[in-house]
Amino acid sequence: MSLLRTGRRRQDRDGRFGTVLVATGAGILAVVALAVLLGPLLTPWGPNQIDGDAPTLAEPGDAHLFGTDVNGMDVWSRLLYAGRVDLGIAIAAVAAAVVLGSTLGVVAGYFGGWLDDVLMRLTDIFQAFPTFILALAVAALLGSGPLNLTVAIALVNAPAYARLVRAEVRTIRDLTYVDAARTSGASTIGLLWRHVLPNSLTPVRVIAPLNCGWAMLTLAGLSFLGLGIAVPDAEWGAMISLGTSDVVAGRWWTSVPPGIALLVCVLGFSLLGEGLQERADRVRR
Amino acid sequence: MSLLSIDNLSVVIGGRVAALSNVSFTVDTGEVVGLVGESGGGKSMVGRAIVGMLPTGSVATGRVGFDGIDVLTMSAERLAHHRGHGAAMCFQNPRGALSPTRTAGRQLVDRLRTHQDMDGERARSSALELFEAVGIRSARRRLDAYPHELSGGMAQRVMISLAAGCAPRLLIADEPTTGLDVTLTAEILRQFRHAADNDGRGVLLVSHDIDAIAAVCDRIVVLYAGTVAETGPARRVLTAPAHPYTRALLRSVPDLDGRPVVVTPGAMPLLREAPAACPFAPRCAHAEDDCRTARPQPQRQGRQWTAACFHPLHDAVEAGQATDVTVGTPARRAAATEGAEPVLVVDDAHVVYKSRFGRGGHHALRGVSLTVAKGERVGVVGESGCGKSTLARLIVGLAKPTSGSVTAARSALVFQDPIGSLSPRRTVEDAIGEPLRALGVPAAQRAARAAAALDRMELDRSILTRRPHELSGGQAQRVGIARALVAEPDLIVFDEPTSALDVTVQAQILAVIDDLAADRWRGSVFISHDLATVRGFADRVVVLYLGRIVEEGPVEEVFARPRHPYTRALLSRGLSPGTALVRDLEEADAATGCALAARCPFVADRCRGEDQQLQQYGQSRAACWRVPEIGELV
Repeated sequence: MSLLRTGRRRQDRDGRFGTVLVATGAGILAVVALAVLLGPLLTPWGPNQIDGDAPTLAEPGDAHLFGTDVNGMDVWSRLLYAGRVDLGIAIAAVAAAVVLGSTLGVVAGYFGGWLDDVLMRLTDIFQAFPTFILALAVAALLGSGPLNLTVAIALVNAPAYARLVRAEVRTIRDLTYVDAARTSGASTIGLLWRHVLPNSLTPVRVIAPLNCGWAMLTLAGLSFLGLGIAVPDAEWGAMISLGTSDVVAGRWWTSVPPGIALLVCVLGFSLLGEGLQERADRVRR
Repeated sequence: MSLLSIDNLSVVIGGRVAALSNVSFTVDTGEVVGLVGESGGGKSMVGRAIVGMLPTGSVATGRVGFDGIDVLTMSAERLAHHRGHGAAMCFQNPRGALSPTRTAGRQLVDRLRTHQDMDGERARSSALELFEAVGIRSARRRLDAYPHELSGGMAQRVMISLAAGCAPRLLIADEPTTGLDVTLTAEILRQFRHAADNDGRGVLLVSHDIDAIAAVCDRIVVLYAGTVAETGPARRVLTAPAHPYTRALLRSVPDLDGRPVVVTPGAMPLLREAPAACPFAPRCAHAEDDCRTARPQPQRQGRQWTAACFHPLHDAVEAGQATDVTVGTPARRAAATEGAEPVLVVDDAHVVYKSRFGRGGHHALRGVSLTVAKGERVGVVGESGCGKSTLARLIVGLAKPTSGSVTAARSALVFQDPIGSLSPRRTVEDAIGEPLRALGVPAAQRAARAAAALDRMELDRSILTRRPHELSGGQAQRVGIARALVAEPDLIVFDEPTSALDVTVQAQILAVIDDLAADRWRGSVFISHDLATVRGFADRVVVLYLGRIVEEGPVEEVFARPRHPYTRALLSRGLSPGTALVRDLEEADAATGCALAARCPFVADRCRGEDQQLQQYGQSRAACWRVPEIGELV
């Protein structure tokens, strides 16, 4: 009797790996979100409140967990409040980009013809620029403020979703179940909404979380360059920017905590996206 | 000693699926053995074990002896030699298995150089010989053809030449005729017989369709749920199978003589471990208590003939049982439908699919006229590319006629691909309710009617909340039929509704369709590439060839007295040489004169120059002027 045993090409036969990634990513983001939402309970200081008793650039200690910044404001509480802005804008911007991009993608992909040509040439124009430069330009044009930043980041991300969804729709519109819906008498809108759109969003589900991390970095980058959220409002990129000269002088606590916060969030989004990808691949196999 | 001798082979995949349990059989040199069974039965796992390519994570026990050496214990080097030299595989989908960027000849020459150490010149001349040997016409030209330039039959021949080019001792063909036209299968199968008789190779034909490969096999091995149900000489196994499952396989397939299809309930189980009882017992009408408690071992039924059954049967397969549930018995058919009001009138319809660039395009239908009355069942038969799917799309409005007209009452379509026709993210309830939603039926009523339609399909209501990927093929097709039925259309078009299903499941679906089509107030159109399937279903048959109707008439008449040469060829399945078509279908054939002229064994000069119109011959009509003479010519 012989025994033939072949090794596993990948340890993830039952998709556990993907689930672990998703759980880790979601867990990280949940902790951050909870901290940010419960901010006022975790700190006695307001984000823009100046502690008259403490010196500016006070070292981390009992009164101020992460010390104070150059203006004498509490870094810990600014960190928490800034999280609301960063997470909020990133998620809202990506959500807006998904809605806008998917709508354009479905329309272009399903109807084709000149409409497709026009829409796709438009996305080509957008995609011809490096995205960060484009975000910079749009933000400069619209001016600062949370809403304008959301719009800017959404606009530069939407074309990618339009392309992604269009490619899916081009395949899906010729599949048998779409024909089946047509013969069942479904209206075009119903067909798109109930059959084409839900099935064309599969890659979007994977890309969107990854994209949230990228959006946070864009937002922080814009603020770092002074085009984002303006002082005194708290924002991680702006906080890093404010502390750059102090870091050189050894006073790390103004810049490093927001930097780490950014890192953790982007990591969380990446793990989430990666895990979803892993699970999507498994379903496809 | 046998060339291949598989002994007590068991394969467990990932510790969870018992793909094969104690399989034993042999293949000798110069012998053609058919390995048949339904999907999940373990056919391809046997093929994989023979070439030492079991899936990752599988554990194999037993022995796969090849020339006395166990394949399961071969070193990687020996295995590389064994694959190709020892056993070579012809894959199921020849177009997919051929590399698209290299010419067919180049791929064959490469093999000859690696496996037979030929130099370039000699390899090319041998390639030419091999191409000619497998029946490729103008072989020199085909050597330089890319796979996409080959027709399906041609690609399958190239595939055979590729496998043969390795000069293997054993040739394994995985579903060699699936997806090929009826008129081609006989020709392709002859190539395998030829490889066994002339080149002394062992041949293992793997197929789900016992009827299709039976003609060329010496012996047949029937697999069920990873076990060998029956093995024996082909003639014995086909005419008087001892195992009830073999009987079920044979009787699930309609045949051209109009033998009724017998339905076997249930589906093949997916086993997690080697079965402790007879795996077929839950579906078997002859099962007794011992079948459910102990697993039968192969028992000798005759010379080289065994069946793993405690209560083997010995009468001929034609003998029916009183308990049989049959399909297509004429008694159930609706009586005369003459004078009934028509639910479909297609008048001289042409459909041209425009090519994307510039002028021209694909002329899918070239003037088809068809009328279907209430209560009538019309069968439409033709091979791939004849326009039958376009006709289905035309009837339900998915395609628009380029000229001519279509007047249809409310119609519904049942698709070929059962799972693919259901939206992946919608539940069964949603899918069935879709036509009602379009009619504006409120949600509560939709749910009730969907459930009622499902009841008629004899499906449990618990599947209402499932999604397509959780359904088996048979379940999905029942859902598809329920969807077609739910809005009570006046016409249902079935487009190859069973061709993607397993044989015993096909019979179940045919029974369901047969039941629906008996509704007097509805017309049905049943489209199939298989004449036999249509025979049990239809009152009237329409034969399509390259977008035209070549013959039309009452079902009994067309089957008993086929008029058109093409219908004759279809009916003989290429087995009787007098009526066989002379070459593969080519698109250009349709240009002038009779479309069949280039392939017709009865062709005369007049055929090439003159378009043929349908003419009345007896009770049926055929588009061939030579009909009166053909009877004498055969």
